[in-house]
Amino acid sequence: MTMFLRSFIPSLAALLLAATNAGAQGLLIDKSEIRFVSKQLGVNVEGRFRKWKANIVFLPRDLGRSKAEFDIDLGSIDLASDESETEIKSPLWFDTRQFPVAHFASTSIRSVGGDRYEVAGRLTLKGVTKDIVVPIALKKDTAGNSVAEGSFLLRRGDYRIGEGMWADTELVDSGVVVRVRMVLPPLA
Amino acid sequence: MKPYESKARYSGIAIALHWLTALLIVANLALGLSMVPLPISPRKLHWYAWHKWIGTTVFLLTWLRVGWRWVRPAPLPVPMTHWQRRAARASHLALYALLLLVPVSGWLYSSSTGVQVVYLGLLPLPDLVPADKTLAAALKAVHVSLNFVLAVLVCVHTAAALKHHFVDRDTALVRMLPGMRLRGSAQ
Repeated sequence: MTMFLRSFIPSLAALLLAATNAGAQGLLIDKSEIRFVSKQLGVNVEGRFRKWKANIVFLPRDLGRSKAEFDIDLGSIDLASDESETEIKSPLWFDTRQFPVAHFASTSIRSVGGDRYEVAGRLTLKGVTKDIVVPIALKKDTAGNSVAEGSFLLRRGDYRIGEGMWADTELVDSGVVVRVRMVLPPLA
Repeated sequence: MKPYESKARYSGIAIALHWLTALLIVANLALGLSMVPLPISPRKLHWYAWHKWIGTTVFLLTWLRVGWRWVRPAPLPVPMTHWQRRAARASHLALYALLLLVPVSGWLYSSSTGVQVVYLGLLPLPDLVPADKTLAAALKAVHVSLNFVLAVLVCVHTAAALKHHFVDRDTALVRMLPGMRLRGSAQ
């Protein structure tokens, strides 16, 4: 019995915590987005991901327990051009057959004053894992939801995105600006 | 005043702008036709960019030509029949209009596909229309049709110039050629 309780209570606690997290901060996924802008010969090319999952716990008064995790379906990329979408899934770019998902997991979230925070974490993309820091700003929208907006500069070369004939950064800039907008229901 | 103004030549600048435009539009037509079927590649992206930059250049050069023509009017037409003069005038007007409209249609078409035109990779032209697939299909048809009309008019223009030179034996062509002295001209 004690053995059962010893293992049961922590699992129950974990389960309750998970349920609370999911219940308290279910992301408003239709209002949230992951977009990016790359540059080709001086022209901004915008895109977004249609399918991704996130597990976000954001407690401004308890940043130690706060976390953000993302799984992004790279094949769901939207570039407003079928030709470009087919190309970017190919081995020289994302190679979605081998690496279908990009993963991000925060390692720490710290306040940098006011409504600004820094989310540090590890981004895994095309088999490469790098530490990144995403500065975010927190606002409220008119419905009272919390809107966290942040962006960071991703160097495509770091993750071998656009190899071989596409490596030329005069043609496709090395920097890709990734913009994240997460909408969470009112914080408790 | 000289009795035969028609023996006057176009100014050096007008001649330079005319032939530069001729070179650019023929090159850009060839580039436009060859870039579309290319598989996606760095070459394709470069060709598309050059095509847009050349088109924008033609647009700018055309305004320069119109401005220059206003400062230094074209020499009077060579002697020809009334209907020929009217046809020449109409076709020249149409050519100028197309030299402006074809690049504009390409610019709008590019915007409608979601790709902004950035002249020489430095100067962004505003997107005047939204990215929209239906609109893009319509603007593509407009761009292609206007180009077809331009190509036909360039052929007519060239044929007329050759006819003036070889059949009528007048100075219509020679006065637009660089560095050629006109027969019997004092200039």
